[in-house]
Amino acid sequence: MLAMTIGLVLGTGTVAAAQDADMDFGAGGDEGGGDADMDFGAGGDEGGGGDADMDFGDGGDTGGDAGGDDGGGDIIGDLAGAEPEIDDPGGDRPARTSEAREEIFAVQQIYALRINRVELTPSAAFSLNDPFVSHNALSLGLNYWWTNVLAIGVNFLWYEGLEQESDLNFFTRRSTRLAVPVSAYQFGAHLGFTYVPIYGKFSMFNEFIFQWDSYIVGGVGIMRTRPVPVVDPEVRNFDYDIRVAFNLGIGLRVFVSRWLAVFGEIRNYMYLEQLEALDVALGDDRFQQDTWTQDSPAFTSNVSVHLGLTIFLPIDFEYNLPR
Amino acid sequence: MMSKITQSVLVAALAASVAWVVPTSSVSAQDIQITGPLAGAPAVRRLRQHRVGRVQLVVPTVGFTLQDEFSRSMIVGLGAHVHFTDFLGVGIWGGAANFANAFQINTDLTSQVMVNGQTTDRNRLSMPSNEGFDDQVGRLLGLASAHLIFAPLRGKLALFQGAFVDTDFWILAGFAAAFVEERADVGDGSVCAGTTSSAACLATQSGADARQVRFAPAPMIGVGLNLYFNEFLGLSLQWRAFPFDMNSAGTDESGRDANGNPGAGFPDGVIDSQDQRFYFNHMMNIGLIINLPPEMEVSD
Repeated sequence: MLAMTIGLVLGTGTVAAAQDADMDFGAGGDEGGGDADMDFGAGGDEGGGGDADMDFGDGGDTGGDAGGDDGGGDIIGDLAGAEPEIDDPGGDRPARTSEAREEIFAVQQIYALRINRVELTPSAAFSLNDPFVSHNALSLGLNYWWTNVLAIGVNFLWYEGLEQESDLNFFTRRSTRLAVPVSAYQFGAHLGFTYVPIYGKFSMFNEFIFQWDSYIVGGVGIMRTRPVPVVDPEVRNFDYDIRVAFNLGIGLRVFVSRWLAVFGEIRNYMYLEQLEALDVALGDDRFQQDTWTQDSPAFTSNVSVHLGLTIFLPIDFEYNLPR
Repeated sequence: MMSKITQSVLVAALAASVAWVVPTSSVSAQDIQITGPLAGAPAVRRLRQHRVGRVQLVVPTVGFTLQDEFSRSMIVGLGAHVHFTDFLGVGIWGGAANFANAFQINTDLTSQVMVNGQTTDRNRLSMPSNEGFDDQVGRLLGLASAHLIFAPLRGKLALFQGAFVDTDFWILAGFAAAFVEERADVGDGSVCAGTTSSAACLATQSGADARQVRFAPAPMIGVGLNLYFNEFLGLSLQWRAFPFDMNSAGTDESGRDANGNPGAGFPDGVIDSQDQRFYFNHMMNIGLIINLPPEMEVSD
């Protein structure tokens, strides 16, 4: 039969192992009005015991793609549903000029493998918890994934020139005569680990599928900060200094493709800040720098929201195992 | 991978080409036949529809306001949503802040003002005494909202590769009614004139009539993630924003100069609505979902 011939030409594996079941849904012949042949040929050779191979032609990987957009289908129902259309007599219709085939697989592959890939994460960061100063920053992260769920990486944030002080300090000073010491950041550099405990996929209007995951991130790094002189700005002037900082956060990553994703992350950068002293020393002591800061540093946490892109490199990757 | 859109466009283009080349009388839909069991299939089959035709109660919701300047609010509330489709519905939500102000949560800034704030002749109306500052700060009493809820994304997630829960992501937009308790208007600031705070001046801060409740209409927007443990119960994580004007410090902030420009004439010696500033109030909520009826629909 022509269908068998096509199946052989297309290499649809008619030789199967013991108990393998090859199902060939190759296109039916034209003269028969679109009949479809199903070949359940079983052979026996190298013994892949128990495997069930279902071959729906050698078309692209559209249907079986790990994107998962088709994986939830009822295969038997589909086959049954397709039957009347295939058996439609239509003897006078012209020959088909082209066709497309799809493959489905019993187990879907992970949509975007991370293992041994590098992740670049440019983002913008905004403060969430400081009503006095919004510590906005541009950030760039670099992660190396040594498993599909675990990565080590660094991220760098540049704050200087992007921060915004709100009116609150001005209004508070004016109405209560209280100056609240605030800080300015220059940059932060952090080493961190990322772990992905949660992943899944979303359907939009039953039409599009988005893979996504949620991760936790944490690590240690440095921040270069300084107090902003608000109590005695005429005299005091502070230089940036290095602080040791810890960070912990959670994030959500939505894949647009196998190498590109958008992400949102809430991350708390915690460190000990040296704040400006609220008291002004009298006399010459006013000009002594050791009187400008408070006696003990204050625990400071800057909760930031990161919004940005994730770019996985290399763009292409290969699965270790066949489908 | 050829997406359904690409596939549709390709099929349409091929069909158009065939229609142009082949005489009309011989055109047939069978010219292009996409074979395979997934041809024309929807992205998801047997979709577990947690929303359509059901009432979704969120009882209770517990949340905290964020980026508060002078007072924090813990809001306990309840909500209900009715869904016409699996992605569109309407809902109401309401919550009481600090159990209708049965208790107060001051920020560190308020505590600092109470300890270190200084009252002078210049700011006596704004703050008759630093110790009583927490009596004059504005506080949220409660919120109520009516909104449209739109859930464009639904799916499932795997937790530690072991537990699987249905999930949907939603956004809402609507109107909110915020009930705020603020320092009452002080029409005559001269009660706070002088070198010390008189009893009348202190009464504007801590007296029996020193507070007033105001209704503040506001838009409300929000996003959330619902996790469904089974057909009946779930967990809702929400972020809501409800921006409106308020005088959170209870201070005299406004003033106009001779030309009527704001700010330059500070202080104007009056505490009123002109002293309100814009606040982007927002909060995080977590809630328990109860879906009724307990059984949900499953799509084809």
